[in-house]
Amino acid sequence: MSLPDDPLDSATRAQAVPVLTARPSVRSHQLQQVEGPGAPQLIELRGTSLIIGRSPEAEVRIPSSSLSRQHVRLDRGDDGWTVTDLDSSNGLYLNEIRIYSAELRDGDTVQLSDALFVYFEGR
Amino acid sequence: MSCFVRFWGTRGSIPTPGRKTHRYGGNTSCVEVRIDDSMFVLDGGTGLRELGVDLLKRGPAPVRAHMLFSHMHWDHIQGFPFFVPAYLPNSRLSIYGTFTGDRRHHQLLSGQMSSDYFPVDFSSLNANIVASDLGPPTGRIIEGVAVRCFDQRHPGGSYAYSLEKDGVRVVYSTDNEVDLGLADPAAAQRDLAAPRELPPELVAFCRGADLLIADGQYTDDEYVKKVGWGHPRASTVTDLAVQAGVGQLAIFHHDPMHSDDHIDALVGECRERVARWGSGVIVFAAREGMTLKLG
Repeated sequence: MSLPDDPLDSATRAQAVPVLTARPSVRSHQLQQVEGPGAPQLIELRGTSLIIGRSPEAEVRIPSSSLSRQHVRLDRGDDGWTVTDLDSSNGLYLNEIRIYSAELRDGDTVQLSDALFVYFEGR
Repeated sequence: MSCFVRFWGTRGSIPTPGRKTHRYGGNTSCVEVRIDDSMFVLDGGTGLRELGVDLLKRGPAPVRAHMLFSHMHWDHIQGFPFFVPAYLPNSRLSIYGTFTGDRRHHQLLSGQMSSDYFPVDFSSLNANIVASDLGPPTGRIIEGVAVRCFDQRHPGGSYAYSLEKDGVRVVYSTDNEVDLGLADPAAAQRDLAAPRELPPELVAFCRGADLLIADGQYTDDEYVKKVGWGHPRASTVTDLAVQAGVGQLAIFHHDPMHSDDHIDALVGECRERVARWGSGVIVFAAREGMTLKLG
């Protein structure tokens, strides 16, 4: 007795295949405050720029006397966000190293005096 | 006085883009040092391309750059043909050799743009590109910044540079196989935990720097198989930083085979070594896109 060449394939119904479009979920970049006044909180990074500081005018206000009124600025770039020290009194620390500015990467810690944040890249 | 140091390329040997190098970056050696209104560019690896793009975004002022090259291997010059300010007539780029009359760096930069390698000839660049040198071994003052160089151990030779103004000092020492200059290299290999006996003249060159940017390409295990390749153990440059009493050590020229996690582990070992010596030197991995403010 002879078997068909490919019984499974012969059962496949040929048809015109429409191209399907997937819509992957999009999540914005985030800063999660894990220590300090106001923690815990999750900050969605939207727009092009924002200030973190003690001032009521700061987009992200941290009620700590050791933060400068305008402590750091975050700017959106082609490849995520950049954090820059605004000549603060107590500095900006990236992964425990004092810096002036850096492009943030997933999992980075950002410390502003007694406030500690973790950066998460969006997708 | 203001002094900013920005890393545009921190990788050694060859560009390594990809997810595994996302944090520390894949572009090859290029560091911008801005002291007051003067700009120094240390090496022209692929990171130089992005510096050029950024300079155009900063405003319409003509680019004035003092360019110092550790040596002319590919990973230190490959960005130059893609450095946009070199194509702009208002730019002025000073290419420094080392000692009086040394024009090799200018000549070799132009050589990589001959038609066999690149479609645009060096002579077609519109910028005013000037060949210069650092004069006597005591160095030269460039726009108020004291610039000195130091002869290093690398196949074909390489140079470290010191930039200093108003007591703030940056030392850039990449592609330097410090281990070959140890008083007793075999002893260092027998007992990796012992302090390394470093060349005193190198320690003196780095002495008291606020920031030492140093090639730390290999782990202790890797180095054994790569003696003579021109790069040191990270543990050895850690000892250099401690013995020279620098403020911060930026481990630089990351091995192209090292992932971000690998570099973190390497830095962790260096920090343990610093702690063992009871030193306060701050050690971190140089990272593309990071800017430090000194002084």
